[in-house]
Amino acid sequence: MCFNTVSRYVGVVLLINALFLLLSAAVSALYADLAFRPLLYSALVTAMFGIFPLIYVPPSRRIAANEGLVIVVLSWLLSCLVGTLPYILWGGEFTFTHAWFESVSGYTTTGSSILTDIEALPAGLIFWRAATHWLGGMGIMLFVLAVLPSMGVAGMVLARSEMSVIAQENFRTSVKNTLRIIFTVYIGLTLLETAALMICGMNLFDAVIHSFATIATGGFSSKNASIAYFNSVPIELVIMLFMIFSGIHFGFIYSTFQKKEKLLCKSQIVKYYITALALGIVITSVNLYGDTFQSYSAALRYASFQIISIGTSTGFATTDSSLWPAVSQLLLIFFALQCACAGSTSGGIKADRMVMLGKAILRQIKLMQHPRAIFTVRIDGRSIAEDALALGILFISAYLIVVFLTTLLLTVMGIDLLSAFSGAVAVTGNVGPGLGTVGSTGNFSHIPALGKWVLTAAMLLGRLEIYGLILFFHPQIWQTKQRAV
Amino acid sequence: MRLRFKILSGFLILALMLSIAGIWSIYELKSMSSSVQGLLKENYKSINAAKIMTESLEREDSAILLLLLGNWNEGRKILLAADSLFKEGFSIAKNNVTIPGEEILVKAIETKYNAYKGIWESPLTNPYQRHDMTWYLENAHNAFLDLKSNISDLMTINDKFMFETASGLKEEANRAIMPGVVAIISALIFTLLFNYFINFYFVNPIIRINRSIKETMANKGKFDVEIDTKDEITELAESVRTLFNSIKTQA
Repeated sequence: MCFNTVSRYVGVVLLINALFLLLSAAVSALYADLAFRPLLYSALVTAMFGIFPLIYVPPSRRIAANEGLVIVVLSWLLSCLVGTLPYILWGGEFTFTHAWFESVSGYTTTGSSILTDIEALPAGLIFWRAATHWLGGMGIMLFVLAVLPSMGVAGMVLARSEMSVIAQENFRTSVKNTLRIIFTVYIGLTLLETAALMICGMNLFDAVIHSFATIATGGFSSKNASIAYFNSVPIELVIMLFMIFSGIHFGFIYSTFQKKEKLLCKSQIVKYYITALALGIVITSVNLYGDTFQSYSAALRYASFQIISIGTSTGFATTDSSLWPAVSQLLLIFFALQCACAGSTSGGIKADRMVMLGKAILRQIKLMQHPRAIFTVRIDGRSIAEDALALGILFISAYLIVVFLTTLLLTVMGIDLLSAFSGAVAVTGNVGPGLGTVGSTGNFSHIPALGKWVLTAAMLLGRLEIYGLILFFHPQIWQTKQRAV
Repeated sequence: MRLRFKILSGFLILALMLSIAGIWSIYELKSMSSSVQGLLKENYKSINAAKIMTESLEREDSAILLLLLGNWNEGRKILLAADSLFKEGFSIAKNNVTIPGEEILVKAIETKYNAYKGIWESPLTNPYQRHDMTWYLENAHNAFLDLKSNISDLMTINDKFMFETASGLKEEANRAIMPGVVAIISALIFTLLFNYFINFYFVNPIIRINRSIKETMANKGKFDVEIDTKDEITELAESVRTLFNSIKTQA
């Protein structure tokens, strides 16, 4: 393990964080609010830690696989840590635990909050919350790869840890290409959504905040009532459309807009993702019509938004889904477990693995009927290797174990079962709101401090695809010798 | 990058981090101090003025009752003294309008006091006119209660504002402390990092050069140290290598 090389790359990540902190300070200065000094000081401290390794450590093109993993995980952890600085310097509702929760929730694009009054926060801090989503959504590592001159081989190692294994399987391309695609799609979608929301009547500040949160599938809003505050069908339609787009593999979107390949229309995973959402909307709206909403149009409007919001792991809200009937709540929990496609900013098990699991089950049934036959699992015409299949199914098992353990720990702390389970599902899948006391109109402030730490651990496990974080703490990762200069 | 710059950068970063935290803490403490002064000067002064006005108003009310009981001299004496005290309190309140809503209340107090004074001046200037308890309850007492309620409102808004400012002081104290706490923790981590880099990039290469010089001199072999710090230490290693090579060539 070469600590110096790791520190250089992590330093660049910290510098990018410092840049966004500085941008938030500029917003604060523009609105003449009181968050200017906390944001500016946080930017300076972060920049100082970021720049120091760059002064000492010479650039290196050699990065071992374990170093790549350590860079990714350490960057996430340190970004979350420096992300707490403006909050703790601001004070108010933010104790260190609260600041850590809000920061981790931001960077992991979870969108769960401990804040009881978001609108009381100064504009600069609201912008910083949204910026943590945007940074986290893109994957801080991708910033690193984009700004570093030494991308080549080093970049590929980093990307392997950052992106889902399945996403790599689906979209084999060079790192430079991947970066170009992600930058184009990510920035393009953000700009498009901002413009669309402004056309629908949002002011520039709110439009930017909500675009950051939508494209990153985060869910932090500048309003206490989330999207319900605007009570506008056009705004909801725009956000729904961009939430769906943000849940699709960025490579597919890029290729569709480039008109090279119609991957978006051909992909079985995208077809499954869209069909599942559509089915979910139909069942939920039928279930809600009558008792919860008097008209079918209202049932359709609220069901569509909530299902898409949860099904893409965004977490915005237009109504309190905690009051919905059991069938609708169960569907929401299913979508919070599954979420959207790999290669997007979405969290959860991901549609890709669900398709893989479904096909593996079907294959097993066929094998039971024809024990001597050979069947392969094929997605989009390509057969999936047995080890990738096993890894996918193992991941689902590990994911459910994390959800179960988080629920168990929360119930031990006195949280009711519905809130504990839905909260655990929501944070592990980086969705945001759960049901019960942690529903769309509630928040996580009443959870005991220890519970908040458990939840943040689940957020990080979910974001780093479980194995990433577990491997980071494995002693073998740290055992290689330091290279002498 | 040169050695001097590398070492200086470490110290500069530390100094900058601590100075900014220090300046910010001083600023917040100064702001706290002005808030405390504001509390004492503005709100407490108004609260005190309201207390004086209430006290004098109650004395005036008692004096009116004394007048009605026929104790004209004693009543007149108390009434005039209380009027003078009220004016004193009112003057303080009028000159200390600092919070929203205070000005309207002060103006209302002024108008209502003048009206109240108009009522109690009647038994003083016209003692032969009939003034009894019915007159008192219908005129003087109602005006007294109305005015007293306005003074009480003045006291309440100042009390409320004082409480809010005092609560804000806790927040300001936190804001004054936190930059210091962050700077101390950051400086400690930074010192460890700085020490690590100094050891790794300066001390260790020098030890390796020194060891290699000794080994080369003892074995008469090749000076074989690769230093990749891209600063004066790399140049030193290169110079030593050149020196050994030239000695070897001369020998």
